[in-house]
Amino acid sequence: MINEKIKISTKNLNVFYASKQALFDININLKENKVTALIGPSGCGKSTFIRCLNRMNDVIDICKVEGSIKIDGDEINKKNLDVNLIREKVGMVFQKPNPFPKSIYDNVAYGPRIHGLAENRESLDNIVENSLKKAALWDEVKDRLNQPGTGLSGGQQQRLCIARTISINPEVILMDEPCSALDPIATAKIEELIDELKETYTIVIVTHSMSQAARVSNDTGFFHLGKILEFNSTEKIFKNPDNKLTQDYITGRFG
Amino acid sequence: MNLTIIILILIFSLSCFFFGKTKVSNKIKISRGKLNSLPKYYGYYLAAWCGLPALLILILWTFSELYFVKFIILSDFKADPTIDENKLNLIFTEIVSIAEKKFSGQIPQNLIPYAERFLSLKYIFELSKLAVIFSTILFSIFFSYEQILKNIKAKESVEKIIKSVMFCCAAIAIFTTFGIVLSLLFESIKFFTVVPIFDFLSGTNWSPGRAFIRDASTEIADVENVFGAVPLFWGTFFIAAIAMCVAIPIGLFSGIYMAEYASRKVRKIVKPLIEVLAGIPTVVYGFFAALTVGPFFRTLGEIIGLEVSSESALAAGIVMGVMIIPYVSSLTDDVINAVPLSLREGSFSLGATKSETTKKVILPAALPGIVGAILLAVSRAVGETMIVVMAAGLGASLTINPLEASTTITTQIVTILVGEQSFDDPKTQAAFALGITLFFFTLIINIIALQTVKKFREQYE
Ligand SMILES: Nc1ncnc2c1ncn2[C@@H]1O[C@H](COP(=O)(O)OP(=O)(O)O)[C@@H](O)[C@H]1O
Ligand SMILES: [Mg+2]
Repeated sequence: MINEKIKISTKNLNVFYASKQALFDININLKENKVTALIGPSGCGKSTFIRCLNRMNDVIDICKVEGSIKIDGDEINKKNLDVNLIREKVGMVFQKPNPFPKSIYDNVAYGPRIHGLAENRESLDNIVENSLKKAALWDEVKDRLNQPGTGLSGGQQQRLCIARTISINPEVILMDEPCSALDPIATAKIEELIDELKETYTIVIVTHSMSQAARVSNDTGFFHLGKILEFNSTEKIFKNPDNKLTQDYITGRFG
Repeated sequence: MNLTIIILILIFSLSCFFFGKTKVSNKIKISRGKLNSLPKYYGYYLAAWCGLPALLILILWTFSELYFVKFIILSDFKADPTIDENKLNLIFTEIVSIAEKKFSGQIPQNLIPYAERFLSLKYIFELSKLAVIFSTILFSIFFSYEQILKNIKAKESVEKIIKSVMFCCAAIAIFTTFGIVLSLLFESIKFFTVVPIFDFLSGTNWSPGRAFIRDASTEIADVENVFGAVPLFWGTFFIAAIAMCVAIPIGLFSGIYMAEYASRKVRKIVKPLIEVLAGIPTVVYGFFAALTVGPFFRTLGEIIGLEVSSESALAAGIVMGVMIIPYVSSLTDDVINAVPLSLREGSFSLGATKSETTKKVILPAALPGIVGAILLAVSRAVGETMIVVMAAGLGASLTINPLEASTTITTQIVTILVGEQSFDDPKTQAAFALGITLFFFTLIINIIALQTVKKFREQYE
């Protein structure tokens, strides 16, 4: 327990959309090879926070991120930094499955092709197969790799997106409500998958479901109005939170 | 005369409106206790009944009047077998101009009684028109007033009237289109009885001027061999292709630039500026092509020792391409913007750069839409006339040399119809045949284009 390595740490992280502040002084440490769940009512800044971790907020013109974000001790929130390198290291799965309008194979091969991870067709085939296997999708799609990824069911699409993310061997996987568009069975599959993935990856998951957070995560952070009110081990948060608001939110008294 | 009648009808309608809004609705309120519609609807109802039937009759009467007068006047001449349809029309025109004292030259004595007859007929028709219209007004006011007293729902009736007026407008638009197509079709059929359709579509010699000089020349130009439209189809295709060579790359890249790279500020300035190109009248492009671009290519050709005619397919095509750029760029921009942000984010999150994302995700996703945009631009290029008339020349030749003069379907239609012509001559009718061919070309291109764009839109809804 004492030797847990910190993978990502933020210090005095403030985020603004134009003049509106969305995050206030976020200071948290995310542990390597653990699952950290972020919970809190909508609009409290959970998405904004995890999009800071792979510099995805750069895509939004009006968004300004101030403060320090370190991954493995290296500052990533600075100018003149190749954001693509960070995104290679920190993958992301979105709320709504967003497979490219390409074949299942090409969806997974997209990242490796861009980064030149495979020397030949054979090794690309291997990467695709392994990624799909890790995403627990291989058996369902191995006979139809050439069919469009958009033709899969919602749950399959989301697992395809996970396969796509792990195809480039990231170290961290960010998931922004990955199950909110899925039915309970598909959700259960993804949760199972998260459990396996945490052996290899550091996972940060935003979720609306208390039970999901309780099931899959080691640590939990509770966001409220752009501030992090409580950050602790999941066990502690769900059994005996320090903060009254956390208690209320977890028991469903507001949210 | 008609204008006065229209104004009178409008005045009546307006008074009916106020009469209905105040007097009639008050009367109903008193007799029934309450109104079933707002007072103004009684006004609208009365006004519509007062004005619409009268206007309708006015229009129908005016159109049929001329026809009847002509029929009556000309009945005397019809007995004479030497006078054909064209001659009849001519006689009637003369009679009218004598009657209106506009005839220039020696007035043919035999026509004077007819002119007098024309005037008296006209007088009778106008008088009866007045009588009919005003009795219609009276009758329909009376009728609608009765209806109101029977407690019909004025509001609903007005709604119905508005609906039918709008329907009529839509119908007019559709019937006009049908009318145009039908008249094209009829004239073309006449043409195709003289020139076989197969010769027209596959013949390679287009020189309709020679259909005329049959008598003057010793060699007899036969009608069948001068109406081969293939050179025109080729010229149309060729110039459109040159135009697309300019418009596709430039339009596509500026569209991509605006959608993916330009900051919001730049886009706000650049997009309208490019769209200005679409607002320049084509005749301006035409003389730009003819007076600037054409001579420029000729000089350029002289320098490197090439013979370039000052009218060339190249000049026309390039300028046409410039004209089409905004169509391609604007539509490309729209289509790319319609590709959901989530796909971009998906690609960025894998560490792809902007150009990788554009090339590998956005463009393939937007492709159907872009193809649609390009096809719409093609149909625009195929139908363009002015630039070609001014810059590409008139000679129909089957050439793949872009430096020679070339011609298109639209240009030939213009050439044929400018100047002296009569309607029963195959040369004139050839214009209709060309017109309908062109219409089918662009119709098919448009249908395919709209269909692909529609599919694209459905994909992301
Ligand atoms: N693109 C944006 N532009 C402006 N404001 C935004 C944008 N995205 C989020 N916000 C604002 O930031 C706050 C946090 O949003 P978000 O991080 O999406 O919350 P959550 O994911 O917890 O529901 C909200 O008040 C939201 O209105
Ligand atoms: Mg969110």
